[in-house]
Amino acid sequence: MDDHQAVNALVRRCVAGDAAAWQEIVQQYHRRIYNICYRFSGSPDDASDLTQEVFIKVYRTLSSFDGTRAAFMTWVTTVTRNLLVDHFRKGKYDRITDSLEATPGNQEDGLTVGEQLEDHSPSPEEQVQSQQTRKMVQTALQQLSPELREAVILRDLQDMDYKEIALVLKIPEGTVKSRINRGRTELARLLQRNYRQVI
Amino acid sequence: MDGEAKSGMQCVEFEAWLAEALDATLPGSTLAAFEAHQQACPACAAMYREAAAGMHWLNGLEDVEPPRHLVHNILAQTIGSVPEASAQAAPAGEGWFAKLKARVAPVFAPVMTPRFAMSFGMAFFSITMLANIAGFRVGDLKHVDLSAKGLQKTYYSTEARVVRYYENIRLVYEIESRVRDLRRAATPEKQEENTPKSPDKKTGSQEQDRKYQNYSRDESQPLLASCPAVVEQESPQARLNRRTV
Repeated sequence: MDDHQAVNALVRRCVAGDAAAWQEIVQQYHRRIYNICYRFSGSPDDASDLTQEVFIKVYRTLSSFDGTRAAFMTWVTTVTRNLLVDHFRKGKYDRITDSLEATPGNQEDGLTVGEQLEDHSPSPEEQVQSQQTRKMVQTALQQLSPELREAVILRDLQDMDYKEIALVLKIPEGTVKSRINRGRTELARLLQRNYRQVI
Repeated sequence: MDGEAKSGMQCVEFEAWLAEALDATLPGSTLAAFEAHQQACPACAAMYREAAAGMHWLNGLEDVEPPRHLVHNILAQTIGSVPEASAQAAPAGEGWFAKLKARVAPVFAPVMTPRFAMSFGMAFFSITMLANIAGFRVGDLKHVDLSAKGLQKTYYSTEARVVRYYENIRLVYEIESRVRDLRRAATPEKQEENTPKSPDKKTGSQEQDRKYQNYSRDESQPLLASCPAVVEQESPQARLNRRTV
């Protein structure tokens, strides 16, 4: 029995009311869902809340999952993405479109976005490994438009293939590739603007 | 345009193949044309470099660790309770503290959240502030006698203090006097019936009025000193002094 069949069997058990099966599903997928939510929202608390909402929605609609049409992971990711879009539309997670000279929360004495993106460590190799750099990349990721952000998150952070991403985002595969290219390019430009020496 | 002519690939095609090129999944002939275009077209070369850099930065991001109680919270919100299998038993060989922690942690999972901690902190701060204003000091507790006899004594003394306080408060006096006035006002006829028929004898209230009258008079009215009524009310001590003289 391959992974696909095993997951489908797990889902069937869960739909039949097996609590242990549901627990296994949660254990298996919560980390991935949490990471998608975290990368999209940029906040651990929001990511935690959204992950719970995703699983509540998955639990309620689990009987509608059709294993012959898509993989369970793709289906769960689609649910996650729809929920994130809903929240984004409600204005909860707006795109950070501030100038690089602006400070978060408009605090006069706070660090500007530009200063946050600045890197003072000596070598690029060390910077990639550092926590600070990851935060800066996450900050830059938040500056991308939601369409580009979700595309690069699914491709570069979740390692999904283009066909799966096209299913999740409900757009043609060519558009997926275009969005991924544009997302990567825009991210690099945002980072490049502040530390050209690294690039 | 020169690049397009030389390589046989247009910029639009280059962009379409960019994702596969970065994934290193381009077939041989396409790869050659792609690389040729990249060499010939500076704009596409720059785009390739930026996309590669962006991918590099994104690949540098690692998975973040979900909160410890996320699974528990999800299970609690979906199936209502956590199945026995999910009770995370501590691995064998761990100390009693780790085992105890593993058993107790899921029970307190719902309250071990930042929001609850913040609410608890605010409540603690408010109670502490009120206690300080009320004059309560935690240090005073060490002087308290917590033996059975001591507690009994404290109970009775506190009760006595409360009763004393209640009886002494002015409000009670005022209410009592008001009630008395109301009773008096409600029963004027009875008072009249109770009054003695002989006009010679004066009622207590009349006497009291006269007393007040006397008190209101000062020493600048010497004539009243010889008044028989006043003499009648001479105090026993004054009477004794007069006899001695």
